[in-house]
Amino acid sequence: MERKKSFSMNYYLRYLIFGCVMALLPLLTNAGILKTSWIGIIGGTIIYTIAGLGLNLLLGWSGLISLGTAGFMGLGAYISAYVTGDLGLPFEVGILLAVLIPLVFGILIGLASLRMEGLYLGIVTLCVSEVLRKTFDELEPVTGGFSGKQANFPTLLGIFKLNQQSTYIFLVVIMVLLMMLTYNLANGQLGRALNAMRGSQVAAQAMGVSLLKYRLIAFSLATAFASLSGALYVHFIRFVYPSTWTLPVSLVIMALIVIGGLRSVFGTFIGALIVYAMPDLVLKNIPVIGDINGLSYVLSGVLIIIVVLFYPGGVINLFYKLHSVITGGGKKKAALPQTGEEQESMEETHE
Amino acid sequence: MSELNNVSGKEEILRIENLSINFGGLKAVDDLSFSIMENEIFGLIGPNGAGKTTVFNCITQFYRPTAGRVLFKTAQGETENLVGQPVHSIIRKGLVRTFQNVELINELSIMDNVLVGAHMDFKASGFEQALRLPRARREEKQIREKAYEVLQFMGIAGLAYELVGGQPYGVRKKVEMARTLMCSPKLIILDEPAAGLNDVETQQLSESIYQVRDKYGCTILLVEHDMRLVMSVCDRICAISFGKFLACGTPAEIQKDPAVQEAYLGEKEDSES
Repeated sequence: MERKKSFSMNYYLRYLIFGCVMALLPLLTNAGILKTSWIGIIGGTIIYTIAGLGLNLLLGWSGLISLGTAGFMGLGAYISAYVTGDLGLPFEVGILLAVLIPLVFGILIGLASLRMEGLYLGIVTLCVSEVLRKTFDELEPVTGGFSGKQANFPTLLGIFKLNQQSTYIFLVVIMVLLMMLTYNLANGQLGRALNAMRGSQVAAQAMGVSLLKYRLIAFSLATAFASLSGALYVHFIRFVYPSTWTLPVSLVIMALIVIGGLRSVFGTFIGALIVYAMPDLVLKNIPVIGDINGLSYVLSGVLIIIVVLFYPGGVINLFYKLHSVITGGGKKKAALPQTGEEQESMEETHE
Repeated sequence: MSELNNVSGKEEILRIENLSINFGGLKAVDDLSFSIMENEIFGLIGPNGAGKTTVFNCITQFYRPTAGRVLFKTAQGETENLVGQPVHSIIRKGLVRTFQNVELINELSIMDNVLVGAHMDFKASGFEQALRLPRARREEKQIREKAYEVLQFMGIAGLAYELVGGQPYGVRKKVEMARTLMCSPKLIILDEPAAGLNDVETQQLSESIYQVRDKYGCTILLVEHDMRLVMSVCDRICAISFGKFLACGTPAEIQKDPAVQEAYLGEKEDSES
C-alpha cells in the first residue's frame, strides 16, 4: 500500500505538469513562436474537453447515450450571458446558475432514461436539445434571437478582470481540476457502480447499485459538465448564436471521446485535440484539400472507423502501448496497484 | 407464523411461505414453501423448467411474487419479509447471489469486479470521493485489502489485475463467487455454480463451497444440475417440479423419494415396461 500513495501523488503531479504545459501557450504566442489564433483554438479544445469528460462519464462509463450535449452547452452559455450581462450579477453567480438550471433538465432525462434504452434515449435527448435550440431562437428578450448575445471576459471575485489570455489560463485551471475530479470519481466507488451498470444491470442491482440513483448521477454529471463548458464558451468567445448549438456539436463531442478513448480522462483531451483543433491548425494549412468545406467532419468520420476497427480503446491506447514498450512490459505489471486506467501525461502532443 | 422458527437448536435463516408467481396463465412457482437453517448448505433441484431460477429471482426480488412471503433473518438480526423491497436493497440485508450466466464487467480487472461487490460498504460521500478526502482514501484502501484477501482465498490473487474478459470460464465463476464474499453475506445464493465447469473444477468448487461456509460463516443455497455435486455437498435438498413442491430432506431421503424419482425418470409403469 506504500506504493499506492506514491502513485496517487504521481498522477496528481501528472495533471499539474499537464496544466502547466498548457498554460505556457500564451507565452509562446507572445514570443511570436505560435500564431495568436492558437489561443482561441486550444481554448475551444479545452471547452470541448470539458463537455467531453461529462459525456464520457455518461457514454463511456455508464453506457448511456445522449445526443443533447449541444443543447445543454447552449443553455449554459445563454444563462451565463443573461445573468452576467442583462442582470449584471457577478461571473461566479452566472456560472453557478448556468450549471444548476440545466441540471434540472439532466435529472428529468435521467428519470426518463429508466424506461428507455439505446436509440430511444438518443432520440429523446436529441429532441430536448432541438427544443432548447428553438427556444434560443424565439426567446428574444433573453437570448437576443438570431442576432445572438454578447458576453464579457470573466471578472473573478469582482476584482480580477481577465483578458483573452488570462481567460485561457482560467480555462486550463478549470479543465485540470475537472480532470482530477473525473479521475477520482471514475476510479472509485462511483466509477465502479457506473461500470457495473453498463456491464450488467442485473448484477449491478444484485450488488446493491440502485439503477435510478446512478443513472441520475450520470446524467446530472454529464449535464453539469456540458452546461459549464457552454458557460465558459460564452465568456471566452464572448458571443453566442442559436445556430451554434445544433446536432453536429453533440456528434463532434461524441466523436472525440470515441476517437480519444472511452473511459479515459486524458483520452478525452487527446480526442478534442484531434477532432476540434487539428482541422483548424493543420488541415486548413494544406493546399487544395484544406479549402474543402466540411473536411473536418470527413476526418472525424474516417478516424472513428479506423479507431473502432483497429484501436477499440481509442488513440490513448497507442500511448499506453508506446509507454509499456519504452518502460518494458514486466515492470509495468509489478507497478500496477491502481486500476486499469493508467493515465499517461500527454503534454508533448500539444507542443 | 410471522417469525422464523428455532428447530432443535438451529435457527432458520430463510423461510419461503406459500410462494407463487404467475406469468400470464403459467404458474411458474405454485404455493412453494421451504426453509433453510443457518450455516446449512441447501440445494434446490428439479428437472429443466421446474422454476428453480424463478424461485431465486423471487427471493432476490428480481421478480415480484404473486403471493406468499419470503422471510429472511437479516445481517442486523431482524426478521424481514423481502417481498416488495427494492432489488438493490437486498444485498444490504446480507443476501447476495451469483448468476447462471456469469455476469461480470469484461473491460475491468478482476480486482475491480470484486470491488463492485463492496459497493454497499463505502460510507464516504461522492464529494469526499471526488476530492479523495482521507475517509474515502482509507475506505478504498481497506476494501482493496479485503478484496485481495478474498481473491487469495479463492486462489486467484495472482490474476487480480488481469482483465476479466480474457479469463476462462472457471476463473470467471470464481470471480463471481469472490464478488459475493465482499459484502460479508449471511446467505449466498448460487445459481448453477457448476454449469460449464469440468470435473476438476467442479471438485474445487465443492471444496470452496465448504470453505466459504466455514470461513465466512454463511449459509448457502444452490441450484444445480450436477447431481453428484448436489448430493455430496448439500446438507438438505428441496426438490421441485413444475413449480410445485415435491420433497425436502437429506440427500439420501431425496434419492429414495418416489415423487422425485417420478419427476426425473418418469412414471413407474414406464420405467418398468
